[in-house]
Amino acid sequence: MNLSVNKGEVISLIGPSGSGKSTFLRVLMGLLPPTAGEVRIDGGAIDYRSRPQLRAMRDRMAIVFQQYNLFQNMDVLRNVTIAPIKIKKRPRADVEREATALLLKVGLAEKHHAYPDELSGGQQQRVAIARALALKPEILLLDEVTAALDPELVTEVLDTIRSLASEGITMLIVSHEMAFVREVSTRVVMMDKGQVVEIGSPAEIFGSPKEARTREFVGKILRH
Amino acid sequence: MNYTFQFGVVFAQLPYLLGGALLTLEVAFLSFWLGAVIGLFGALGKMYGGRVIRWLINAYVVFFTNTPALVQIFFLFYALPDAGILLTPMTAVVIGMTLNSGAYLTDILRAGILSVRREEIETAQVLGMSGPQMVRFVILPHIAKTIYAPLSNFFIWLVLGSSMAAIFGVEELTGRAINISTQNLRTIETFSVIAVIYIALTFIASIALALVGRWAFRVRARIF
Repeated sequence: MNLSVNKGEVISLIGPSGSGKSTFLRVLMGLLPPTAGEVRIDGGAIDYRSRPQLRAMRDRMAIVFQQYNLFQNMDVLRNVTIAPIKIKKRPRADVEREATALLLKVGLAEKHHAYPDELSGGQQQRVAIARALALKPEILLLDEVTAALDPELVTEVLDTIRSLASEGITMLIVSHEMAFVREVSTRVVMMDKGQVVEIGSPAEIFGSPKEARTREFVGKILRH
Repeated sequence: MNYTFQFGVVFAQLPYLLGGALLTLEVAFLSFWLGAVIGLFGALGKMYGGRVIRWLINAYVVFFTNTPALVQIFFLFYALPDAGILLTPMTAVVIGMTLNSGAYLTDILRAGILSVRREEIETAQVLGMSGPQMVRFVILPHIAKTIYAPLSNFFIWLVLGSSMAAIFGVEELTGRAINISTQNLRTIETFSVIAVIYIALTFIASIALALVGRWAFRVRARIF
């Protein structure tokens, strides 16, 4: 697959299950080894076998997973602050001030000292988003972040992402929420069987798709 | 029943009995911590060792968890001298109980290590944690929280189980009770008193362990 992303873009990856959307994000984060091809940031190719390069790249990206993956043994504030304090060695007071602002932004200002098992799925996912943002990533990857949530909780998470998109952070989104994808994306990538089928603006992909496979997929999804 | 209770002779020996209680705790404490070291290596060996190591550890665990601790200590105390190894009663008891608890702790620790969720490890990776940081901030706290309750129960079991030592002439709480009762012939009173001392010991230990668990690992143990 071939995809280039410009700063500030919100790219959504859509396609049937097993089409490689999540795999693509996991390869980007270095959780799966790339079998072929290359990833370039600012023109420089990344060698995923090199630990320093992998670390430098993870430094610029953050990912939010479908299952939130909060650290169960840490409260909300510590989940958000542990990486900046312990890994990036930034001063605790600064990090906590920023974390407080981030938690306010995702609507969890009163939950600093709650533990993940005391929160709803939607709240946990918003903590996970705050944790990713605390790293000040240049690129934020969102891997089906609403797929594990009750329908009622989806809205609160999508609202959070929507407000991030409006702030101009570069995002790669894997999602099945088509209405949301359509609204928030600058470009949409249709994938199938590990290949890019079509790339276009939301209007193109959802309104007048060129490829038959896209038409079929979008048609099925939008019908219900 | 025409029995007149006489606790006076037993109470006169209270300092002597409490000294025995201290030895009881010492036996439990030693066999717990020495057993924990064995258990740690056992658990790691069972999970990451080669075939031979795994087989040896399995044989050890099966043997020591399926024979009575008392029988094991008998073996150490009466069979080893024939092989030229002479152990004092205290040493034989501590070694026996250590080997026994090592087998149980192998399984408890292994369950703890297995409970670490792959998702939390992945998250730690993408947050940029190094191996040692992952162990310190994610893996160890998680294991500690998971195994804390079974470990607490096991420690209580060791406190009570150490009464076996009396059979080999170790003057811990039960041993001293036997000494006293053969002199004062007040068996019922003597053993009633040490029963209360045992209850007090385990009660205090349970409360202390539950408080530590709440404070350090958020284990919601019921204290009463």
